[in-house]
Amino acid sequence: MGSGGSDRSRPVSRSRRPGSASSFLLRSPTRPLGAPPLPVERRTGVEYDTEWARRYPVRLARAMILDDLTIPTVRAVARPRTFGRDALERLAGPVIVTANHTSHLDTAVLLSCLPPERRHRTVVAAAADYFFDRHWKAALSAFGLGAIPMERQKVNRRSADAAAALIDEGWSLVIFPEGGRSPDGWGQEFKGGAAYLAKRCGVPVVPVHLRGARALLPKGGDGIRVRLRRGEMEVRFGAPLWPSEEEDARRFSVRIEASVALLADEAESDWWSARLRAGAGGSPPFRGPDVSPWRRAWSLPESADPVSRRSAQPASHGAETATEWDRRR
Amino acid sequence: MKALVFERQLARFAASRVAADLAGSGHGVGVGPLELLEVDPPALPGAGFVRVTPRLSGICGSDLATLDGRSSRYFEHLVSFPFVPGHEVVGDVAGGALDGQRVVLEPVLGCEARGLSPLCAACATGQKGRCERIAFGTIGAGLQTGYCADTGGGWSAGLVAHESQLHPVPEHLSDEAAVMIEPAACAVHAALGGMESGHTATGGQRVVVLGAGTLGLCTVAALRAHALPGVLVAVAKHPEQRRLSRLLGADHVVEPDEVVRAARRLTGSMALPAGGGAIERLTGGVDTVFDCVGSAASLETSLSVVRPGGEIVLVGMPGPVKLDLAPLWQREVRLRGAYAYGTEETPAGPRPTFDLARDLVESAGLDRLVSGAYPLERYEEAIAHAAQAGRRGSVKIVFDLRRTRAKEHL
Amino acid sequence: MSPRPGFVLEVDRSTPPTLFWHGEGFRLERLPAGSRVVYAPEPLAALADPDAEIRRALEHPLGDSAPLRSLLRPGMRLTIAFDDVSLPLPPMQAPDVRQRVVEAVLDLAAEAGVDDVVLIAALALHRRMTDDELRHALGERVFNAFAPHGLLWQHDAEDPTNLVLLGQTDQGEEVEINRRAAESDLLVYVNINLVAMDGGHKSVATGLASYRSLRHHHNVRTMQNSRSFMDRHHSELHSSNWRMGQLIAKAGVKVFQIETTLNTDTFPEQFRFLQRREWEWSLRDRAGFLASSKALERTPPELARRIFHSIRAPHQMTSVQAGEVGAVHERTLEHVHRQQLVQVEGQTDILTMGLPFICPYNVNSIMNPILVACLGLGYFFNLYRGKPLVREGGVVIMSHPTPWAFHPVHHPSYIDFFEQVLAETTDLFEIEAKYEAAFATDPWYVHLYRTSYAYHGVHPFYMWYWCAHALAHLGKVIVVGGDRAAVRRLGFSPATTLSDALEMAEDVVGRDPTITHLHTPPLLIADVT
Repeated sequence: MGSGGSDRSRPVSRSRRPGSASSFLLRSPTRPLGAPPLPVERRTGVEYDTEWARRYPVRLARAMILDDLTIPTVRAVARPRTFGRDALERLAGPVIVTANHTSHLDTAVLLSCLPPERRHRTVVAAAADYFFDRHWKAALSAFGLGAIPMERQKVNRRSADAAAALIDEGWSLVIFPEGGRSPDGWGQEFKGGAAYLAKRCGVPVVPVHLRGARALLPKGGDGIRVRLRRGEMEVRFGAPLWPSEEEDARRFSVRIEASVALLADEAESDWWSARLRAGAGGSPPFRGPDVSPWRRAWSLPESADPVSRRSAQPASHGAETATEWDRRR
Repeated sequence: MKALVFERQLARFAASRVAADLAGSGHGVGVGPLELLEVDPPALPGAGFVRVTPRLSGICGSDLATLDGRSSRYFEHLVSFPFVPGHEVVGDVAGGALDGQRVVLEPVLGCEARGLSPLCAACATGQKGRCERIAFGTIGAGLQTGYCADTGGGWSAGLVAHESQLHPVPEHLSDEAAVMIEPAACAVHAALGGMESGHTATGGQRVVVLGAGTLGLCTVAALRAHALPGVLVAVAKHPEQRRLSRLLGADHVVEPDEVVRAARRLTGSMALPAGGGAIERLTGGVDTVFDCVGSAASLETSLSVVRPGGEIVLVGMPGPVKLDLAPLWQREVRLRGAYAYGTEETPAGPRPTFDLARDLVESAGLDRLVSGAYPLERYEEAIAHAAQAGRRGSVKIVFDLRRTRAKEHL
Repeated sequence: MSPRPGFVLEVDRSTPPTLFWHGEGFRLERLPAGSRVVYAPEPLAALADPDAEIRRALEHPLGDSAPLRSLLRPGMRLTIAFDDVSLPLPPMQAPDVRQRVVEAVLDLAAEAGVDDVVLIAALALHRRMTDDELRHALGERVFNAFAPHGLLWQHDAEDPTNLVLLGQTDQGEEVEINRRAAESDLLVYVNINLVAMDGGHKSVATGLASYRSLRHHHNVRTMQNSRSFMDRHHSELHSSNWRMGQLIAKAGVKVFQIETTLNTDTFPEQFRFLQRREWEWSLRDRAGFLASSKALERTPPELARRIFHSIRAPHQMTSVQAGEVGAVHERTLEHVHRQQLVQVEGQTDILTMGLPFICPYNVNSIMNPILVACLGLGYFFNLYRGKPLVREGGVVIMSHPTPWAFHPVHHPSYIDFFEQVLAETTDLFEIEAKYEAAFATDPWYVHLYRTSYAYHGVHPFYMWYWCAHALAHLGKVIVVGGDRAAVRRLGFSPATTLSDALEMAEDVVGRDPTITHLHTPPLLIADVT
């Protein structure tokens, strides 16, 4: 055994010695302990700066995508019918559009149903921890949807200021006051962010109800299969709500939620009976019955249920049995 | 006289390796450095040496590995060229105190055979296998007769041996029984662990023996003879090996891909899954695994069925293998080599391994493991048969130097 | 045209060859002249409006029971247990009967304002069901309403915190069942009665029980004295379950039993010929048979298995009854007998049967040799009332490839049972005494039963015990076309062809034996006089 002499006998070349000039140039440098820390350059989450997405060229690209790609796709998948859009069309200046939230389809459908001039001058408040947590997601959301980051629960000063500034510049805002998609198909409590911004900037709130999104693309979780189905949605715009002087943001928020609940009732029944019920104080609860989870799921309207009972039954069966009884009624 | 001689010729060495890889073990012989030659009988190297005329000489797994070019390079210093292979020998003595007697050879060349005095610590206690001066002395380097240029070896018409290496064979034992004493001694030594070891497979333990060639079968017999319940054997596919394992006392005999599941059943242990319902390894396991195969796969299997704190005994010469030692470390498993023989600690006091082996050969009927005998002239067939013994329903193949034709026993 | 009853054909020279099932495939065999073939009755008409019938049954219960509506009130604890994946066979086309019934029950529960509802798959010691299997059985609506909230349970017979010992019967049989079920204000059981063995008190007493309870009737002695399983008045298995059921009722567990029966419309369009009598095969049927059997010859076993296990049967509900367990079950049995009974005169020396690819314990899985034995000697042998079809000391010839193959996820303890236990002995009593306890308590099998999709460690033993009556009764068991080593391991005799098998049988029953072939599935019960 035995190869030639040990490595110690060979002189180490100058460039290999640690600390020499060329080793520094060839490797990334080590930081001395006393050096001050580097400033953080890229920000994600709420601090992400979406200004670049509102520059003219980017806006143009986004508008083209919205008109030529998103809207045809939405029409093919969801075939939305709109109701009550005239009230919105008569409004000039920025508005805050608030809608119920059950599906990832909501934003695309809502933007598609806005009047054309307005839809290109709209930003969408999107959850900072979901759409803006990674840099590429943030860029994609800002570019594709015109999204701005916002906290789900309680809007902090920074995002509030940013949103208010945009509204003052003339941008309309789409915001889902529930803070996130409904886990079970019923509505959740409306947070105060939309109401606060409306009061601060003095702009009206347009309540919207989206019916049937959850049946097409439900929120997954715990065994619920997520599959995109085709179907028909309905988008109902309600009468615009102006904040009043005496009302604080909290109470205004309750009023906004009541309007959306009314629209929901309208969607399942009709305009007049919904109003009658609202007048009598008995609108069916937007947030669903206060009972156990299975009963809440059981009492969902068909439009909110990805698997409605009727669709599970075959159109005709018993045709293969000996009887010829005609079952189609 | 005729002898099979192993020359140091690198080119032929390499060629035999290639041939073995391509055509299978044992087929490298034709192009390898082993040749049948007319040579002079070896000279007596010194006092105490006598001549031995072999009757039967066994072919061992280590011989096969050497002929295939697969043995470890570790042995290069422990071997002197040219040598005559063959270390499992029963033959007749000419000269000295045992003149005219039939003897079996204990091939380890320790201090005594090497004319070294005083004896090293190991040889002094009868543990010749652990001799500390294995490459020095009056004869050339060689860990055993059959690897040494100065002693000759069993695959010839004559060799020389030191009187301390020879054990007389009782009348009533056949030549076939006698030739099995040496492999049985390896098995006994592995089973009993030598005097110092202390951590041996004793009564009440659950044991797996991997491999059912000659050494595996002898190990089963040795373990059974020294009172061991719950022995489980993994066998390489071959039905004849399974039959013999059962006869020699294995409680359960399974095929290699079933051993993990069988060990789990035996121990009631929990297991870590491998996906699709298969088991990768046990979290408990058996107390001791005797690995008589010595491949990377068998060592991995051993590690997956031995319990934390258990022991794996490597019986029989392994090749160089690559092994993940993480399970060994995390589960505090002992990996111990069992080489050759010496003196064993028994309830009746220390006894030479060869004596215990002789008793074992008789009590377990190990002579039936000799499946075929060939004359030296048909050495290529003999070695090919030995290499494929399992598949061909055979166990031990020997060279028969008493007759001229080959004969199959089983 | 009303469905024709079953009948016994006597084979003569103008009889076409008879269809034999052979695992994932089928063969045509020529039976000697003079053999009998028992054909099942044709499928009865299904209910025209099953949902309405279900609602009606819930409103008008049988026996000493109030309508379900009146048993439901707000604040109560309701548990709905349902039969697991071993029924029906083959699995039904959507919507499954359980889906219909459970939705009807939940509608009533929602109306009544019952919040605390849990659904439990009554597995006993079977494997857990996968999400897909649960979706298929219950429908997505029920699944989506219960599973995400952890309200869809699978009975865990090894969970000590969820078992309760209710007491012992007068024969010393311990009754230990699912705690949630026992402590509910109302336990609704949704059952599918494919064969006469199912249902009645067996639903709760077995389906929701633990090993401690089950071993009192799932043992060799009980099985040998169940003659047959399909006839509860002569079945020790059922007597034991009935005692346990009565103890459960006395312990205060209120059970509202809903039982349903299915017709025997077992095979979809492309396998229609399997339903028909051979001399009535149209050109399409014959072409279908030829095409299928040729294609299957070339198909690798894995793929063939997948094809067959994806069959969804068109069988439909023929009756539904609800209310008190005993009364409901009597009515159910009437319906089962109406669909399945065939009058057969006299026993036979040799009974032949072709075994299909599926039994209750290998749904979406592999039929290993133990299950082959169980299907042939446990189920098919026992499809009788009165006397067994084959005489004592007679021979059963089964046709199945009997591969030495096991599903390692579903049947891990079966592998060990086959490798270790059957290699030692096939004697039932010896197996029970020496090995059952170790397998039943092995922590690894318990772990796999509770967390994976494995049958319980003791389950292969039950499969073997299921053959107890047959093994005591018969002189010889022959398997045609099976893996020789596997068949021998079972203790049976392998034969390559049916004629070889008949010759081997003659050594036992003598020359010129009488031969009867059981042409099933579709299912039938032989009423032997």
